[in-house]
Amino acid sequence: MSDAALDYRRRIPRIARLSVTASPTLIRWTLRIVTVMLFGTATAIGVNLGIGAPEVSPTSVVNHDRVASP
Amino acid sequence: MRPRGHTATTLLVLVCLGAGLAVLQGFVGGGLPIHFGASLVAQVSGMAAGYGAAVMLILMSRAPWLEHGVGAHRLVRWHAWGAPPVIILTVVHAVAAVVAWALAKSIDLVAAIKGVLDLPGLITALIGTVILVLIGVASLRAVRRRISYERWHLLHLLTYLAVGLGFAHQLAGPDLVGRRWLQIAWALLYCYAFALVLRWRVFQPAFQLWRHRLRVEDVRHEAKDVMSVVMSGQHLDELRAEPGQFFRWRFLTRRTWRSAYPFSLSAPPTRHGLRITIKAQGDGTRQLFDIPSGTLVFAEGPYGVITRRRRRRPRVLLIAGGVGITPMRSLFEGIGLPGKDITLVYRASREQDLVLKHELDEIAERSGARVVYLVGPSSDAANDMSAHALNRIVGDLGDHDVYLCASPRLASRVRDSLMDDGFPRHQLHEERFSF
Repeated sequence: MSDAALDYRRRIPRIARLSVTASPTLIRWTLRIVTVMLFGTATAIGVNLGIGAPEVSPTSVVNHDRVASP
Repeated sequence: MRPRGHTATTLLVLVCLGAGLAVLQGFVGGGLPIHFGASLVAQVSGMAAGYGAAVMLILMSRAPWLEHGVGAHRLVRWHAWGAPPVIILTVVHAVAAVVAWALAKSIDLVAAIKGVLDLPGLITALIGTVILVLIGVASLRAVRRRISYERWHLLHLLTYLAVGLGFAHQLAGPDLVGRRWLQIAWALLYCYAFALVLRWRVFQPAFQLWRHRLRVEDVRHEAKDVMSVVMSGQHLDELRAEPGQFFRWRFLTRRTWRSAYPFSLSAPPTRHGLRITIKAQGDGTRQLFDIPSGTLVFAEGPYGVITRRRRRRPRVLLIAGGVGITPMRSLFEGIGLPGKDITLVYRASREQDLVLKHELDEIAERSGARVVYLVGPSSDAANDMSAHALNRIVGDLGDHDVYLCASPRLASRVRDSLMDDGFPRHQLHEERFSF
């Protein structure tokens, strides 16, 4: 066979066969749900990172009331 | 469809507003009154660079509301304008921070560098900065010309790593520390930027591959260094691709899977097939000429705004130069107007450079549309493409929407001439590509 990385002549696995049979409506809603879940996860991670961020900057020094930031 | 200009203006205002707030926070983050010096430079440049990096990610996320609302070429232009200042600000931030550290600790610069790098997250930030600088250097016009698109593209992908590495120390910066809501907002900005990239640059094309199983059906020689790739797939109507649009194609062979190429559809899309026409412009695109049938195709898109939905006037003039004919060929057949209201002007240096000519002639004959070939040197008066000459070809130019796709030089000449002649900007639609 040629250097095609994925050979379409191979038997289509069950998960791929689903792609043919699923209705457009199901596909549309799946995409919407995935998007909501992705951004929900991003929100959760973002809020967690923000809440868990340091309260005192390890990267600052005080010199004559000035803060230096690397 | 909402006018593109409004979306672009709204987004630009929001981005500038955010930049203003980030810079303001950089100024006041260290406390009041403001003391001017290296630490202030470090804070302001750091906030601006951090904000800019997130905005650059969002602009290149391929989110449809951006691609359709703002336009791919405008996004690329904004990215090209915005990225150099972000890299420069990052470097300024790093240098100013070391100087500020040296002054604060009363130590020399070498000791300050060592001291700074001992701080948490600073080694990764340094690696991120080095990667960004390398990408910046590789993108300089003089360097960019010497490296292939494929290598440059691969290097460019490291931007995500660089931005991620830089993020680690941002939440601990003195501009944000102690302000919980700001830290949360900053973290959300980055998380959403990466989520957008993941959603539209990774998940969407992977999903499309799964759903549509797009694969190469045939590769046809069209002219010297020009070939068409015919692809077939399932449920392609769900892509809602339109004539005039383009995808970023990644052909999954061992040699070509690393690079995504933007190519326009060169024929109206159907439920089971898509076609693109490619001109070899380097080793990478030349490799595409040998793609075997059956190769799976990872396609991002559809993108592009030069579709029939942009039309406002009763007639259209399509202007193509060289291989810029591909979206015009597609529109010529699929713009949905009676043939008498469509004129295609196709410019090429030589007769043999007229790509898809037989198809254009066939469509013109079938629909009654008009196709005008301008072949030969541009110095020839017969090949004049000024507004005046175009007006002579079509009659009342003001009554037309003009769709333009040509080399940057020809496109700029036509655009400038039309604008100088007072042709309304909103009636000119163009998509600009360059590797």
